[in-house]
Amino acid sequence: MLDLAMLALVVVCFALAKAYAGLCDDLLARPAGEDIAP
Amino acid sequence: MTSIGWLQIALLAAIVGLLTRPLGGYLARVYAGEHTLLRPLIGSVEAALYRLAGVTPEAEQTWYQYTVSFLIFHALGIVSLYALLRLQSVLPLNPQDLTGVAPDLALNTAVSFVTNTSWQSYGGETTLSYASQMAGITVQSFLSAASGIAVAIALIRGFARRRSPTIGNFWVDLTRGTLYVLLPICVIAALLLVAQGVPQTLAPSAEVTTPEGGPQTIARGPVATQEAIKLLSGDGGGFFNTNSAHPFENPTPLTNLAELVLIFALGAALTNCFGRMVGSERQGWILLTVMAILFALGVGGLYSSETGGNPALASAWRAGPTKSAQPPPAGNMEGKEVRFGIAGSALFAEVSTASSDGAVNSMHDSFLPLSGGILLANMMVDEVIVGAPGSGLFGMLLFCIVAVFLAGLMVGRTPEYVGKKIGSPEIKMTILALICVPAATLGLSAVASVVEPGLAGLGNAGPHGYSEILYAYTSATATNGSALAGLSANSPFYNLTLALAMFVGRFLVIVPVLAIAGSLAVQPVVPRSQGTLPTERVLYVCFLLGVIVIVGALTYLPALALGPIIESLQIAGGVFY
Repeated sequence: MLDLAMLALVVVCFALAKAYAGLCDDLLARPAGEDIAP
Repeated sequence: MTSIGWLQIALLAAIVGLLTRPLGGYLARVYAGEHTLLRPLIGSVEAALYRLAGVTPEAEQTWYQYTVSFLIFHALGIVSLYALLRLQSVLPLNPQDLTGVAPDLALNTAVSFVTNTSWQSYGGETTLSYASQMAGITVQSFLSAASGIAVAIALIRGFARRRSPTIGNFWVDLTRGTLYVLLPICVIAALLLVAQGVPQTLAPSAEVTTPEGGPQTIARGPVATQEAIKLLSGDGGGFFNTNSAHPFENPTPLTNLAELVLIFALGAALTNCFGRMVGSERQGWILLTVMAILFALGVGGLYSSETGGNPALASAWRAGPTKSAQPPPAGNMEGKEVRFGIAGSALFAEVSTASSDGAVNSMHDSFLPLSGGILLANMMVDEVIVGAPGSGLFGMLLFCIVAVFLAGLMVGRTPEYVGKKIGSPEIKMTILALICVPAATLGLSAVASVVEPGLAGLGNAGPHGYSEILYAYTSATATNGSALAGLSANSPFYNLTLALAMFVGRFLVIVPVLAIAGSLAVQPVVPRSQGTLPTERVLYVCFLLGVIVIVGALTYLPALALGPIIESLQIAGGVFY
């Protein structure tokens, strides 16, 4: 039973890490007309 | 302090400095897929592995695909190592008939070695079978190092490429790092260690009779092969509980020096690899110079502090029956191997905490509080002082981005670094990567300092006890793995929270690092102009040093004040914990 709980914990953590990667992907999108100063 | 002590330090610096350029060039050729001396020997093995895994080496990945591959690979690594540790009692190569590892400890250990941390809440020789050590710990040491280097190479490609939607192929980088870099060096290192007396055997522990006639069990096993990658990988998890203080892990002065070189070699060489790949070796030397200055400050402080000895003992010595006007001559030898002495122990501790390796040849808990503070500070600056293979370089590059961003703010220009504009997406990713480590370190330390299961593990009260907790979470998030061993960390609370800290310290940093790589790779190279900050000059070295120290101090100084700093002040007044 504890083994399943540990496995579930690992799966949840990696699912969150993948969601975090998705969030980073969204944040990377440069807004149109973003400044590129001289 | 002695001249021999300083000579040891200088010798290490010289050897690492001499290795940096040839090894850096070799790394650059390996990851570019160019011809190397080993390609005729290993090329067919590499190709066979790609065929077996269904990998097309020419097919490159976007940063997101690279990241997902990285995460899947590590998830599988944790699950497989966990299963191995749990099932070791029914698997072969278990001559001591050790039982399966408890679930919480198995999870902690699996996360620890897959994340290149090597935090050990167990004693290796009394907990792990040979199968677990060889097929579990050693294998993950190779793979975690190879994947760390792969991430650094991907980030370098981000800086080096122009208008490229891809940053390489994770599976190819992982395979090349393992086959062409880690394995060959480890074969040579393991043979050297065996020649110096490190055991390499599958025979069970030796049962002997001591000169007094009593029985004694002497643990041994396949030590040399694990020792080599333990050091080269920046992993640091020892075969034995006492790690490199054990004579079977580190038997001679030559092995001690070789171990230090192995810890630093790849991390230093990657700076040169960076310089070559972005088209200016000088950029790499600048990074290595910053690392060297921080290292020199740390090792000088440690050596000086430990040589000075415990001020309370010095007072007692002067007030004692001898009425000597001189302080005790030995300095602080508590917790140190006599054969390594103060210089050898201070040097190893500095290299170990600066590099994120975490191997030890002395008891860090017995260092003076100020020395403990230096060890903590080494880890708190995000393992940028050479660091582990890969993570040290990308940690330093994150600070480079912050530095050019701050410089850009001062003069009102969009910052550039090695020809790439650093815009808001890169800054957002950098902040994400830099903030998750202190958030996890300080947050979990605060929780452990007030809840019953956290306090139950303490070996000391007061600021020293707090330092033990802070050190544990700092070590875990910095993927270092060393410990102030006064903390009894093999409890469900510490095993799970430290596993979480290691997870955050590895994956929540690497994901935004790869995002930066992807964001930079698609950009064109910006030509230098009069407004470009020259990042290959001495002024930039000072600026980058300032940024690292100020960011580190602003983040961690209050926490350090509550632990080692206050303890250092109190110990002078004779107050101990």
